[in-house]
Parts: sequence; C-alpha cells; structure tokens
Amino acid sequence: MARKAINKSYSQLSDELTKIIEWFEGSEVDIDEALAKYEQAMRLIAEIEDYLKNADNKVRKLTEKFDK
Amino acid sequence: MADLVFSPSEFVAVFNQTIEQAYPQVIIEGELSNFKVSRNRWVYFDIKDEYASVKFFGSVYQLPGPLEDGLLVQVIGYPKLHHQFGFSITFQSIQPVGEGSLKKAADLLFAKLSAEGLFAPERKRQLPQLPHRIGLITAATSAAAADFLKIIGERWAGLEILLADVLVQGQEAPAQIVSALEYFEQITPLADILVVTRGGGSTEDLAAFNDERVVRAIAGSRTPTLVAVGHEIDISLAEMAADVRASTPSNAAQLAVPDKKHILSQINYQKTAMHQAIKEIFDSNINNIAEQKRWVVKTIEDIITDRKSQLLALKKLMKVFDPKAVLRRGYAIITKGTKHVKSVKQLKQDDSITAELSDGTISAIVGKSNG
Repeated sequence: MARKAINKSYSQLSDELTKIIEWFEGSEVDIDEALAKYEQAMRLIAEIEDYLKNADNKVRKLTEKFDK
Repeated sequence: MADLVFSPSEFVAVFNQTIEQAYPQVIIEGELSNFKVSRNRWVYFDIKDEYASVKFFGSVYQLPGPLEDGLLVQVIGYPKLHHQFGFSITFQSIQPVGEGSLKKAADLLFAKLSAEGLFAPERKRQLPQLPHRIGLITAATSAAAADFLKIIGERWAGLEILLADVLVQGQEAPAQIVSALEYFEQITPLADILVVTRGGGSTEDLAAFNDERVVRAIAGSRTPTLVAVGHEIDISLAEMAADVRASTPSNAAQLAVPDKKHILSQINYQKTAMHQAIKEIFDSNINNIAEQKRWVVKTIEDIITDRKSQLLALKKLMKVFDPKAVLRRGYAIITKGTKHVKSVKQLKQDDSITAELSDGTISAIVGKSNG
C-alpha cells in the first residue's frame, strides 16, 4: 500500500476539512480566499471518500505464542 | 526387590522418579477443603470426596481468584513426595467446576476486587474515537474473530489489526489471555485499543473471564480495553473491569470504530453545504458589485443635476448684469474717446462724446455741464 499510516492521514484530512467548514461558517469571507478554500475542501473530500471506499484493513496474526 | 533397603533420601528419589514416569500430571476433581494461603504466597489445600482426601501445594500465582472450602474444583498438578513434608500434589492450575462453584468463585472475586475499587466507574477511560491500531485477543479461528473482523471491515478502513491467537476456554486460557495482554503492554507504538472477545458458551466455557489474573490484567492495561463475551445472562468480571463492555464480538466492532457509511453521508452533506456556501459568496459579491454600480451612476447623475441647476442660476445672474439689459431699460453708456464716462467731471464744454443706447449709438457735443 502506498498509503502509510493511512488512518492518521484520515484524521488529518478530516481535521483540515473541519477547519475549512468552520472558516466558511465565519461572518466575513473574502471571495478569492473562499475560492481557494473551496477547491481545497473538494480535494480533501475526494481524498476522504477514496480512503473510506478503497483502503484495506490489515490483519496481522501475531507469531508470538501465548502459552507459557 | 523386596530385599532392597533404601535410605529415606533414596526412597524419596526413587518414589518421585517412578511416580513421575507413571503420572507426570494428574487431574483430580473434588471438593476443596482446608484451603489456606500462607504469607500471601503459598497455598495449601485438600481435595476430598466421601472416602479420601489428597493434599495439594502451590503458589498463589496459580490461583484463578479467591477460593473457599466447599467449592467443587478441578486441579491439575504433579504428584510429589517431599523429603520432609511427605506426599502432596504440586498444583499448576485449579478451577472451580460446575455452575454453582463457578458462580460462588466469581462472587468471591467480585467482592474482593470491588473492595479494591477495580470496577469503579471513575477508572473507566473513553475509547479513542478513531483507533488506528487494534490489538485483538481471541481465538483466531473462532466465529468471534470472524464476526469482529467482518463488522470492522464493513465499518472502517485502513486499520491495522494485531491478532493474538489465544485459547479462550479451558485451564490454559487465563494464562494465555494474560500473556497476550502483557505482550500488548510492551509493543511500540502501543495499540490504540485492545479488544478481548469470544462468543457465548456455558459458565465453564467462560470461566477464564472470571479469572482474577485476567480481570487484573484487563483493569491494569495501559491501553484502553473493550471486552465482549457473548453471553447475556451474567456479565463476566473481565467485562466489568474493561473500560468498555460490548455484548457480542460484532457489537465490539461497532463500538470500536465509527461507521464509514455514516461518515460518507456526512461528507456528502458537507459537500452540498460547501457548494451552497460558495454560491452564496458569489451571489453576494455580484449583488455588491451591482449595488456599487447603481451607487456610482446615481452619484454621477446627482452631480450633473446639481451642476446644471448651478449653471442655470448663474445664467440668470448673468442676465441681471448684462449692460445691454440696462440700456433696454432707457439708460445709455457715454464714452469719451475710449473711456467710459462715469462723472460729469470728466467732461467739459464742447467735448465730443458717444452715447450707446439699446438700439444704436449717437455722437454728441457736450453743451453745458452742471457738475
């Protein structure tokens, strides 16, 4: 998998998106900044969707023996 | 053989060798009696039935929890003739058997651990909202493991699940579960949560989850714990000691991770909200520009109107000052040479002057002046 520590990056993506949404909820927004942030939000959303739809869970059976 | 004479030491050695070969390990089930713990370390008890009683010896670390006389127990150990204290069986494990004994033992352990505050609500930690590494302690080939992994897979993505394959029932189960919990204590990085689970079963099947060592290891885990033992009637002490309890392995998966379907629909909603927000920002900017345009046009129009009325007023004023208008009212402008005559003192008799009237000029000679 190309994506390492994928879940952490999900949290980051999600945090970034939340920040942008909060920014839009603010009172005065500049249109140039709004456009840039909108595009960024759309990129983040696409990445989150891709992640949730396509990332795999990795199950690793431990080789350790637990019978003492 | 009958002629052989042993010293006591030789007899002990030969006896132990012989018994070890014949019965390296014995399993004895019976009623617990004379149960004693010495110096918090050594355990002595007898197992008896109607006709016989056998002595046992061992360490407190082999106990599944507090026990008391009268319980029906199954003990695994090896027989040994001690060089001073005589015959006993050194026990490796002791488990209450039968529903009544198991229940009684669990009650004893519950009372002991409650008094220590092990189940106190204030000890409970919240599970992280989004775990990345999950330590899963269960029997790898069990339906419980399959259910947990299936539901986890349906709900979330990109997880790393470390599966510790342990026995979840039988006398070896407690030690294996504890060993797995200890393993997860020392891995780096730590797992975000530990899930200990198995499906339902009889009271005896689930005994490991009422074992003091297991319950303490769960309560003492640095990593938040989620325990699900699939039976509904009695909650095991391991579940009570966990930070969070789930009813079944599938329920554990539900509690461990959020549902991606929910997140995806939330994301979809956010997407729509963003579209709306950016549209509103554009609309509001367009409105602003239109308004600004209207303002500029109106301001210019106002300026023009203002200037026009100023000009009109000036024009009227100019008319008042127009000398021709004065002439039309019967006045005349007198000039001598190139100079306007403003006073009779400028003139003397016989001077040539010009009088400008509204409709022409006349030349004249000054007669008499009375200035």
